[in-house]
Amino acid sequence: MARVKLSEYKAKQLILGDAYKGIQLHSGEQMVVPKGQWVAKVDQGVKKRMKQGLVAVNKPAAELARAIQGWEKKGFSQFVLEPFLAHEASEEQYLSLERVREGVRVLHAREGGIDIEEHPEKVATYIIADIKDVASVAKQTGLPESFFASILEAFEKYFFSFLEINPLVVKDGVHLLDAAVLVDSAGEFFIRGAWTEDDIVSAQSSHPAEAEVEALAATTPASLKLKVLNPDGALFLLLSGGGGSIVIADEAELRGAGKALANYGEYSGGPTREETYLYAKEIVALCLASTAKRKALVIAGGVANFTDVKRTFLGIIDALSDAAPALRKQRIKVFVRRGGPNEKEGLALMHSFLEKEQLLGSVSGSESVITKAISEAIDYTQ
Amino acid sequence: MKTILEKVRGGSDGTLVIGNHPAIVQSILDFDYLCGKEKPSVVGIIAGTRKSQKFFFGRTEVLIPCYKRVDAVPTERRLAVQWMLCAQSGRRTFESTVAFFDAFPEALGGHLFAENVPERHATELIKRFAGKYLIAGPSGVGIFVSGALKLGAIGGTDAAQIEAGQLATRGSVAVVSTSGGMTNELIRAVSGAGKRVSFSISIGGDRFPVTSLGEVLALAEADTDTKAILYFGELGGADEYEIVELLKQKKLTKPVLAYIAGIIDEAFDEHVQFGHAKALVAHRDESARAKREALRGAGAIAPDTFPAFLEELQRLPLPEIRDTVIDITPCMDRRPSILSTREVVDLDAVPVFVKGGKLVKQKDNNFAVAALGALLGRTVSDITAAFVENVFELLVDHGGQVSGAVNTMITARAGKDMVSSLSAGLLTIGPRFGGAVNEAARAWHEGARSDKAAADFVEERTRAGHLLSGIGHRKYRVGIPDPRVAALSEFATTLKKHPHYDFARAVEEVTTGKNGNLILNVDGVMAALLLDILKEKEKMTDDELSELIDAEFFNALFIIPRSVGFIAHFLEQKKNDEGLFRLPDELLFEHKRGKK
Repeated sequence: MARVKLSEYKAKQLILGDAYKGIQLHSGEQMVVPKGQWVAKVDQGVKKRMKQGLVAVNKPAAELARAIQGWEKKGFSQFVLEPFLAHEASEEQYLSLERVREGVRVLHAREGGIDIEEHPEKVATYIIADIKDVASVAKQTGLPESFFASILEAFEKYFFSFLEINPLVVKDGVHLLDAAVLVDSAGEFFIRGAWTEDDIVSAQSSHPAEAEVEALAATTPASLKLKVLNPDGALFLLLSGGGGSIVIADEAELRGAGKALANYGEYSGGPTREETYLYAKEIVALCLASTAKRKALVIAGGVANFTDVKRTFLGIIDALSDAAPALRKQRIKVFVRRGGPNEKEGLALMHSFLEKEQLLGSVSGSESVITKAISEAIDYTQ
Repeated sequence: MKTILEKVRGGSDGTLVIGNHPAIVQSILDFDYLCGKEKPSVVGIIAGTRKSQKFFFGRTEVLIPCYKRVDAVPTERRLAVQWMLCAQSGRRTFESTVAFFDAFPEALGGHLFAENVPERHATELIKRFAGKYLIAGPSGVGIFVSGALKLGAIGGTDAAQIEAGQLATRGSVAVVSTSGGMTNELIRAVSGAGKRVSFSISIGGDRFPVTSLGEVLALAEADTDTKAILYFGELGGADEYEIVELLKQKKLTKPVLAYIAGIIDEAFDEHVQFGHAKALVAHRDESARAKREALRGAGAIAPDTFPAFLEELQRLPLPEIRDTVIDITPCMDRRPSILSTREVVDLDAVPVFVKGGKLVKQKDNNFAVAALGALLGRTVSDITAAFVENVFELLVDHGGQVSGAVNTMITARAGKDMVSSLSAGLLTIGPRFGGAVNEAARAWHEGARSDKAAADFVEERTRAGHLLSGIGHRKYRVGIPDPRVAALSEFATTLKKHPHYDFARAVEEVTTGKNGNLILNVDGVMAALLLDILKEKEKMTDDELSELIDAEFFNALFIIPRSVGFIAHFLEQKKNDEGLFRLPDELLFEHKRGKK
């Protein structure tokens, strides 16, 4: 979904093609630093690498290898080696391209470097609304038009959303020293494997439950999302709807219970009973694993347009049934607010199930405010 | 010039649906019906392999035509198309949208339902269509104009939701939302607060909505029905600054009540990507708090909490409401039919061939004469030809419910050709379906030749566990005679002797003594009279008749005309082509396998 970060190695490969001489290294594979002058970098989408000491410039092979070992100890596992280019700081420029409503927005500064963000006054903005704007924008930036045309071609062809080159060095040609690319995940189908999910980097290691949900989401047109925020939180959210879920989470923050939220996530777009079951199972498991003393599960959402309340609730009930004795033992209560197609039947099923299993916090429908369930769950856990 | 909303309220609602989403299409038809429209707004569906799809309009079923491509919509229906509802995947949305507006440049707009439309496609659509058409999405749930248009899942997909939201009533609050679910939540909040919605647009949670928030608000400002604007937005993106600008420039003068969700983002160490593609804070001014404050600064009402937002909604001026009362019962508990066909013949019209002992129709039985000539190898008498003609007319069809017709239709829907489909129907003919004429002929012939009394004959048959072919009817009984049997029986008056007919009637005398429904039926009377006619008019001997019975000649009287009926049902399937048939689960009792 949305904008995701490519590895620098893949990004430069797409932009430069065969002209790119970088080498990708992975932990667990044999890492050989060839002869020559190299720069080694952590390639996992980390911002401000230089300041964090995650770049090693022009050192002997043995030293580069040691640097990489050090990074591995910090938990990193993907690196890139690039030929070292000697240059002056004054030769560094800044360039970024971002897709905006009007076309592609270009930011350029003749002075680049890692401190560019502190000097917005040095940055000039251009819009490329059409391919014929390239020549004039190139001219104004002073960068070669052929270079501009080629990065724009890659930008379009590979569904880039954002490209930042900092620094960009103009010296016997144009050199991309550091590059960051966000691609549009929705474009994956159209780029025929030019980049794949394996080229997407994420700085944080994801929770196993998140990975499970991601794998599940890949197999359905419905939307299933999960982010674990605090594994030992007290409030576990089983929410529906992209917007409604934020309204409900907001209420927790507004009532000072933001830190008690164990997770954020949502299901929407009409998942089947089975898909809802598998999704709910992950959240129930997280809830049982939390060390918080008083815990609550919040099953809530707005008034759905087409997601069937009864069908999705049957899936949730399947997941709750599996774990009912354990939930009861931990005195976990379930608070529900939901509306939509087959609302009455869905709510009635949920109510009688929760009552029977002694898990009932409260069950309410579209006549009550969307924040009711979370609000009552906060009262219960505090 | 009329605004787009005025055009819609004036009846410009014709919608072409691209892709397959029956639940949404049905909800549009329910909305149309509940608003009192005379016909569905859905003009057609672009869906690959079939020619039509069945939906309910109220309690009546209607077939909505399906076309392979947008440019295949026939000329006479093209004029009605004003809107596109694109329910396809994000991969195909761009292509389909371009094809639609190429084919319908005069249309008013559309809705792109898919999430995951690539940004590059969305910006390309903006370049081509923004400002020209009203296009909701990519993503979201569509466009709604109360009492006039439901373009998408917006407002809900079951009739109870259409009732609860009072969607048929013209109101005064415009509902605009980036979130599909919250669009409906707000529509319900409006009706819950005793107010009604003027129109609603779900602009979608993608980064680049084709029609921008600013354009939608300009529409609300220009709309005479709209007195206030309700807006739901989220963290991420800078669209809300369009509202701020419009307010500052006094281009937006109607009250704006907004809720910007996403304060929760502040609880985390780094910005979180929420459910919608756009819902990620990339710059400081994209946070919920910043946008809320900017809106407040420009004069909008932007409460901090959702309950406070609802309280403010209560406070908005309340114009007089006259609700369009709707009765949703016609949209409840409906059971869809599983096959569709047409009435092939009028089953109530009974042809009359003999009246007062004389043939009414004497000529023009040419086909019957030719057919009998071919089958029997002789030129038959007028009476014989008239009788067979009468039988042919009666047996052309007996409705789409009977086994043979069902098999023909199912085979046709499996994509098979005419001969295969007709054969499937014909192969059904046998002891329980259509084969009774020959069996009845056998019974009457045996009975009339023997000296047995009808009572003994019946006794013997039932004792041996045989069915009496030619006897019994589900509906007709003693006192309610079958008009077809009565009409055919008139042929007896043209004969000097009719032993088979007499025997059949004697048997009927016995059986109706047991049960009033056990009357002589059409198969029985046909068999009896044809035996008598062949004997008297064609001078056939008993042995010749036996030979014909053994060769199943009498079934030909059914097969020949019914082939016409089967072909009629076949042609109807090809015309409507609803796709492969599958028996709905609830219509099949499945004995479960035992598990180990």
